[in-house]
Amino acid sequence: MNLQTQNSNIAVMDADSHLEARNIHVWFKERHVLSDVSLHFPTNSVTALIGPSGCGKSTFIRTLNRMHELIPGAGLAGSVYLDNEDIYAAGVDPVTIRLRVGMVFQKPNPFPTMTIKGNVLAGLRLSNRRTRDEDELVESCLNRASLWNEVKDRLDAPAGSLSGGQQQRLCIARSLALAPEVLLMDEPCSALDPGSTRRIEETIRELSSDMTVVIVTHNMQQAQRVSDQTAFFLAEEGQPGHVVEFGSTDNLFSSPNDPRTEDYVNGRFG
Amino acid sequence: MNTRQVAKGDRAFFAVSTAAAFFTMSLVFAVLIFLSIRSWKTFSEQGLAFITGSTWDATSTPGTFQILPMLVGTLVVSILGLIIAVPTSVAVAYFIEYMAPPKVAKIATSLIDLLAALPSVVIGLWGLYVLIPHAVTWSKLLSTHLGFIPFFRTDFDNAQGAPFIAGWTVAIMIIPIITSVSREVMGRVDKELVSAASALGGTNFSTMRRVVLPTAKSGILGGILLGLGRALGETVAIFFVLNLVFETNWYRVLEPKGGNVASLIVSKFAEATATEISALMAAGVVLFVLTLIVNMIATSIVQRAERKMAS
Amino acid sequence: MTTLELLPRPKDAAPWRNRSKSLLTKIALASVLPVVLAIAIGKAFGIPGPITLLLVFLPLQLLASGLAALSTRGKRGVADSQLNVAVLFATTFVAIMLGSVLFSVVSFGLNAISPHFAYQNNVYVTSTTSLEYGGAGHALLGTVLVVGLAALIAVPVGIAVAVYLTETRGRFRGPVRFFAQSMSGLPSIVAGLFIFAVFVSTGISRPAGWLASSALVLLMLPTVIRMSEEVLKLVPGDLRSAALALGAPQRKAFFLVIMPAAKTGLVTAILLGIARIVGETAPLLLTMRVNPNTNVNVFSGDMSTLPTYIFAFLTAGFDTGRARSWAAAFLLLAVVGLIFGTARAISAKSIKK
Repeated sequence: MNLQTQNSNIAVMDADSHLEARNIHVWFKERHVLSDVSLHFPTNSVTALIGPSGCGKSTFIRTLNRMHELIPGAGLAGSVYLDNEDIYAAGVDPVTIRLRVGMVFQKPNPFPTMTIKGNVLAGLRLSNRRTRDEDELVESCLNRASLWNEVKDRLDAPAGSLSGGQQQRLCIARSLALAPEVLLMDEPCSALDPGSTRRIEETIRELSSDMTVVIVTHNMQQAQRVSDQTAFFLAEEGQPGHVVEFGSTDNLFSSPNDPRTEDYVNGRFG
Repeated sequence: MNTRQVAKGDRAFFAVSTAAAFFTMSLVFAVLIFLSIRSWKTFSEQGLAFITGSTWDATSTPGTFQILPMLVGTLVVSILGLIIAVPTSVAVAYFIEYMAPPKVAKIATSLIDLLAALPSVVIGLWGLYVLIPHAVTWSKLLSTHLGFIPFFRTDFDNAQGAPFIAGWTVAIMIIPIITSVSREVMGRVDKELVSAASALGGTNFSTMRRVVLPTAKSGILGGILLGLGRALGETVAIFFVLNLVFETNWYRVLEPKGGNVASLIVSKFAEATATEISALMAAGVVLFVLTLIVNMIATSIVQRAERKMAS
Repeated sequence: MTTLELLPRPKDAAPWRNRSKSLLTKIALASVLPVVLAIAIGKAFGIPGPITLLLVFLPLQLLASGLAALSTRGKRGVADSQLNVAVLFATTFVAIMLGSVLFSVVSFGLNAISPHFAYQNNVYVTSTTSLEYGGAGHALLGTVLVVGLAALIAVPVGIAVAVYLTETRGRFRGPVRFFAQSMSGLPSIVAGLFIFAVFVSTGISRPAGWLASSALVLLMLPTVIRMSEEVLKLVPGDLRSAALALGAPQRKAFFLVIMPAAKTGLVTAILLGIARIVGETAPLLLTMRVNPNTNVNVFSGDMSTLPTYIFAFLTAGFDTGRARSWAAAFLLLAVVGLIFGTARAISAKSIKK
């Protein structure tokens, strides 16, 4: 069953949407970089955003937790609904949104001045919240990010002593400590080796049992392995970035509606 | 071409640069050695009392030369300067790097760098004619309303020449220095870390406290020590606004009784006898050792911070 | 297939700037009320201005901003609001102080200065001489000569040390860097004492310009070394290896390739080193004596410089003397500003390239 929007190639799965972007446009200074993006993210689904570099997928993902506005010159039109409430409505504190919608960045960026444990608890400290049992929280978050066994004996070591892949899993654990409902991941594996990548993909599958995940990726195999639905972004010469096609991952990869999608998923460009 | 010739030319090139390097390195020792030789007479005649006593008498023979009040005064003025300068400098650095619009930040940055090169004699001139009238009023207010706090108690009507005013003057001198260093290290904090903090629900305040300051901490500390070094060795700016009195004043900052090693040297030097010059050289040695320690600590902290940031 | 249009940015493309009416009211209240209240309380109880500012206005402003933040963003907004108020308050304080320094020098200086001040000397000037006569021309010349001689020594030595630190594999690079940096904290008065101890106490020379220059060398060296080292480090390694790969000896690689590449940076380093010493006063007071007359010989005789000129008139303590000090301070600040501006312009130009 397909729900049609302005773009006939955009199909949405039939489920409650947890997070929903409606008609998002983005400008940087006067430059229009993203046009009319409307996507629905059902509860506990994994959505992959694919497309060549510079198509606006990383920009888009930052509009979902109000990180976009921190970039100087950023502009935005449209709305994003989280549990049917507009996160851009006047009077909404962006901090409350970022606590509910977590984010993992492209480059692993643990806080170098903190220990491993300190990094997991950084979100609590930064948002001035407390938990009853810190050790338990640290263990459960590291476990869910499948890092616990590797670091349980050196929780007080500086975060910089970990390998790149471990650092990225630490960043995931750090986000999980705030118990977000949605986790945004901006090319989380692009700086990692295949082994680390595989482990993070496993983590993503596990996380999706109780949270909604949106992941930007360059890697089409990765999109196929981890996601339920996929959106294909494209910015053609002299045009702003936009969504060419959106639908279930299986459909989009096996029988794309748009020739451009077909070319891209078959590796003919990008 | 003859390879031996090439090597010879290069050898001369390296010899010159090596010689310059050793010359520079030896200067620090030369300063210490020469001043120590010239002041040996004072150290041996006055003994430890040189730094623990409070009398300066050049008229009698052999003369008594003791600088405790000047040493204490130097420390008091420098600490007062830091108390005023450190919070304000860090605040201004934060303002420039994290609050101001880019254009304002750019102008403020060059202005601060320019002011860091402001001649101290100009600050002294300003302190003497512009700051003192205001500072005297402030001191009066402090002593009448907060006189119950030991620091602000005074038995004098007028605070002209008090350590408080000298500390304020020194603060104005070192604010640009500390701000300049703090701004630089705050600006070098990885923007990715600041983004990460925002994404974790950090507010401006918690991001500054948990991420920016811990990362920039050692750099800022280096800047503070640099400012302290300048404050300890500052001469003319203090000379104009501070009364030099040979009576140790540990903490009553509003009483016009101060001391300062560098100012002492300037004020006595022109008419000094040979023995007094030796005593002033000795005072210089003490001051130099004090600032050298502060600067070596500062240098090693900053170099370690730079290495850490680079890795 | 449809082509998407590039749309112009609408005016309201920043929803995060949208503020509800109630929020705007709160912001307006939080910025106006403390001022009004502080003035009222200060007047009512006759509290002096500075105390009102610090002990009435500042707490009221912190409270008002805190309350406004609490009602709009909850508890976590409070700390942010206090941070903003504290930072803006401190920044204003610094701006007023440093602004006052600049303003005083410019306004008092312009009051007392006239074109002849920059070239006439001070012979026959007494406390009763009107400002129409005499000037600091001799002191300006003295500054140029003394600082020029200092730069003449400090620049080659400083750059040579920087070469040692960047171009050689000398074993003592660590200690050299460490001592050079430690020297940057050498109190200027100690530099003066040192030169006095070496040359005057030993009877080698009477106080003279070149002794002052020697003292200034000690103060200028660390700046030149540090900045030149940074500049030389910025020269790409490829350029260096390319020159060496062509068979150039290292000294030629340096003079023909590296030095030209780092030229503008080195000039900036020299200028900033000069800016650092041009206003130095304390060492000059010990190593040379003021002279109301013009002297162009840095190797003998008394000579004035701008800082010692200011110092002498300040300690003289009469009204026209004070005016002359301000005028000379203005001249000195103009010199520092000129050096600084040139350094900025040069480095800005090289960045553009």
